Amino acid sequence: MKLLRRFFGPRGNREGHSVPLPPHMTPEEKRGESSPLPAPPLKTRPLEPPRPFSTLSRRIRIGIASDVGQARTSNQDAALAFMASAEMAGNPPPLGFVVVADGMGGHHDGELASAIAVQTLARHIIDEIVIPHLDGREYSAEQRTIPEVLSDSMHAANRAVQEQVPDGGTTATCAVIRGDLAYIAHVGDSRAYLISEGNVELITRDHSLVRRLQELGQLTAEEAEVYPHRNVLYRAIGQGESLEVDAATRRLPPSSSLLLCSDGLWSMVSEKKMLEILGEHRDPQEVCDRLVAAANASGGPDNITVVLVQMPD
Amino acid sequence: MSGTSESNETRHIENEPAPLSVPDGTLQPGQVLQSRYRILGVIGMGGMGAVYQARDLHFPTVARLVAVKEMVNMAQDQQIREATLRNFEREAEILATLNHPAIPQIYDYFSFGDRAYLVMEFIQGKDLEAIMNSIDGFLPVEQVRQWAIEICDVLSYLHNHKPEPIVFRDMKPSNVMIDHHRRVRLIDFGIAKTFQVGQPGTMIGTDGYAAPEQYKGLASPAADIYALGATLHHLLTRRDPRLEPPFSFNKRPIQSYNPNVPDGLVQIVMRALSYNPEDRYASAEAMKQSLEALGSHTSASPLQAAGAVYSGAPSRVGEAGGAVAVGTATSLNPIWAFKVEDAVRSRPLVHDGVVYVSSYDNNLWALNAGDGSLIWKFPTDGGLGSSPIYSGGTIYVGSTDQNLYAVDARTGKHRWIFRTAGRIYSTPCAALGLIFFGSDDGKLYAVRPGPVSAREMWSYNLMAPIRSSPVVVDERILFGTDAGEVACLDASGEMRWRFQTRRRVMSTPCVREGVVYIGSDDWYFYALDIEQGYPIWRYRTRGAVVSSPVYVDKLVYFGSADGTVYALEALGGSEVWKYTVGAPVTSSPAAYRDAIYIGGANGVLYCLHAKTGEPLWQFQSGGPILSSPRVADGVVYIGSDDQYVYALQA
Repeated sequence: MKLLRRFFGPRGNREGHSVPLPPHMTPEEKRGESSPLPAPPLKTRPLEPPRPFSTLSRRIRIGIASDVGQARTSNQDAALAFMASAEMAGNPPPLGFVVVADGMGGHHDGELASAIAVQTLARHIIDEIVIPHLDGREYSAEQRTIPEVLSDSMHAANRAVQEQVPDGGTTATCAVIRGDLAYIAHVGDSRAYLISEGNVELITRDHSLVRRLQELGQLTAEEAEVYPHRNVLYRAIGQGESLEVDAATRRLPPSSSLLLCSDGLWSMVSEKKMLEILGEHRDPQEVCDRLVAAANASGGPDNITVVLVQMPD
Repeated sequence: MSGTSESNETRHIENEPAPLSVPDGTLQPGQVLQSRYRILGVIGMGGMGAVYQARDLHFPTVARLVAVKEMVNMAQDQQIREATLRNFEREAEILATLNHPAIPQIYDYFSFGDRAYLVMEFIQGKDLEAIMNSIDGFLPVEQVRQWAIEICDVLSYLHNHKPEPIVFRDMKPSNVMIDHHRRVRLIDFGIAKTFQVGQPGTMIGTDGYAAPEQYKGLASPAADIYALGATLHHLLTRRDPRLEPPFSFNKRPIQSYNPNVPDGLVQIVMRALSYNPEDRYASAEAMKQSLEALGSHTSASPLQAAGAVYSGAPSRVGEAGGAVAVGTATSLNPIWAFKVEDAVRSRPLVHDGVVYVSSYDNNLWALNAGDGSLIWKFPTDGGLGSSPIYSGGTIYVGSTDQNLYAVDARTGKHRWIFRTAGRIYSTPCAALGLIFFGSDDGKLYAVRPGPVSAREMWSYNLMAPIRSSPVVVDERILFGTDAGEVACLDASGEMRWRFQTRRRVMSTPCVREGVVYIGSDDWYFYALDIEQGYPIWRYRTRGAVVSSPVYVDKLVYFGSADGTVYALEALGGSEVWKYTVGAPVTSSPAAYRDAIYIGGANGVLYCLHAKTGEPLWQFQSGGPILSSPRVADGVVYIGSDDQYVYALQA
């Protein structure tokens, strides 16, 4: 019943023109009944007109793929996709999250670091975003917002990797999707792209030396392509107490795609090629597999990981 | 040392000195090199090999100590290996000829197999990084200045070397020793870098001190000056540049960490840190002269941090991020000023060449927009905090006498009164053929205006005063309540959703692209989804947000009682800029062209650049400005507690 209260609360106290206040009760008296600040006097919601259950498929679809590539002996990337689509009264919006992490470090440190980061992020997001979403609580300032939870989760992942894999580190790019909004948190040089109507927008900023030099006008795009230290990051999960997390929010238009990937994909597959593959295949899993194949076909020097969130039409 | 060889400037972040793990192949104590240097122990591990303490056996009766630096030739290719070795020998020879008190003496070099050795003076002392880590607070500023002068002196010596300047290439706190005579000594010359090779795979961490152009393999005297600037920045702020984005020193103003650093020293360090080599000091000598010219008066400094406490001086210009100097914004004279009989805290309305102003003197005033002359005034029986609105030839305004008034816009003649049971501070909103407004009686009213009377269509009792003004978007009515709620009603007066904040909500929402933006007295600014009131993000200020936001081009602007004007990215809530006024900002911003206009309780009307927050001009009134500006046809209209209404050129 807790869940339903939000959708089928008692009627609000609308005072229609034809329904005057009882003569013995002034508005002041009526107000006096209510509890003082900060508790609101009315906690429930009015009845919404019943809506027919939708018969159209309006679901968000997801694809996910990760491959060791052609040159490496182990896959240090990690990825996770989680999507809850619901069809029920109240029309709760779809809620999900996706993560891509690219681990660094010798021995098994890289794969451990990326896996621990993904696990930590998933646990926090499920506890603090997914469960409250299913609980159907009223919205108030007492709950934390998705950007706040995402930022805290990244810091938790940072601590977990530091404690458990002191010699390892990882990138982490994470997106929570609620309704048509995507909340993105990002550290490192994995990327998130928003692809809509033939346009590719790079949402994230690489925390790499080569990107920083480009931003300062010290390297041109052509120089950056052949720059010897393309692989040097200045920010990553698991490297020190302090961590600055980039955040971005985007509205995902109908039929658009949100693509998260490790540098093994974006350094090998151009945006043009990405668009081409997205245009040729409708199934998001097929798109992911084709993108990985394209990176491998170009040499696959690094691990290749891609997650695709496809919005309904 | 010519600096043409491509060097690998990257390494893993070292938060603290790594414990000495001694790899295989490291020389053991007791081993003797060249029948002359007996190894005593390892004193450091570098990327290329170990540094040992050794005893020179040519001096059998005295313990003459030397440092032996070992470099392992990692190059795989035979030709490269040989070239690397020749390079090393050549550079060692140059080093050996140097003669400066801050440069350790080179006694010998030799090589065998894949290893090369440099024998040099053993320096007793501590490097600057270790010194910094050994204390809790900041290093004395004067001490840092003295070290900087000594470092400039030795850099100048190196850079003036003939025939070729010598570039140190690796200036950082851990490469500067303070010996037991308390003199600066440079260790670890860039010679070592000839032995570094690139490592495969993604790596974390950058040097942090190296100049941008050095990452392209260009090492010049100007790069040493940049690295010295970075070293001084680290010493003065204790912020390790290896843990920050590269070349981001200007994002960390020295004085915001260490207010003891005088302006003069800040300017010297920041000039050394210019991105472009030509913007830095032309020589280490020039930098040294600037440092010396500062004198030893480096202790006292004017408090100049961002967010400085409001001084009460009314002409003061707030500092945006501490970067804007006093006096950059120009002041100006009003086109006209009109004196009413009490404070004006509402937002003036401009329609068809007439300015309508409500005042706490009980009157609604109609003034000629061009010259400020009086057209008419309309008296009510209470002070007017609500702002007037125009709809269909009628001006509507709420009064603290509990009435909503409808007044003929042209003549100022009374049309009708709608009575509520509480004072009206809420500004009415005309939409869907109705007038919506809130009252202190706790209700949100929807009334249908007629020519001579108004009829209540419905009201919704929120049971707490409503001083926020309703906004109507897509048949939804949005407003805040003194119970701390943001409420959404539909056009038929049914509650759609509520969002509970922790304190009252006096701010008026702004709705754009499905997002409701609103402030609360709980210090937060909220972005709520219009469908369900779900919080998309919130931003915490340090004071009540009474100010009502304005949205322009994907940014939202508002003020806070913390004395700051904020510009946030609308969909993500990240800060784009903030401008410190130093006095509470309850005024609501107005946007016009590329500028944002907003008043402060210090009596100043600010005109700020919408994209940067840079102050463009300001106007000082004679009392706090709680009124909100209106901009129409290139003119800003604003009221003040000094009882004036001002018209200013936008």
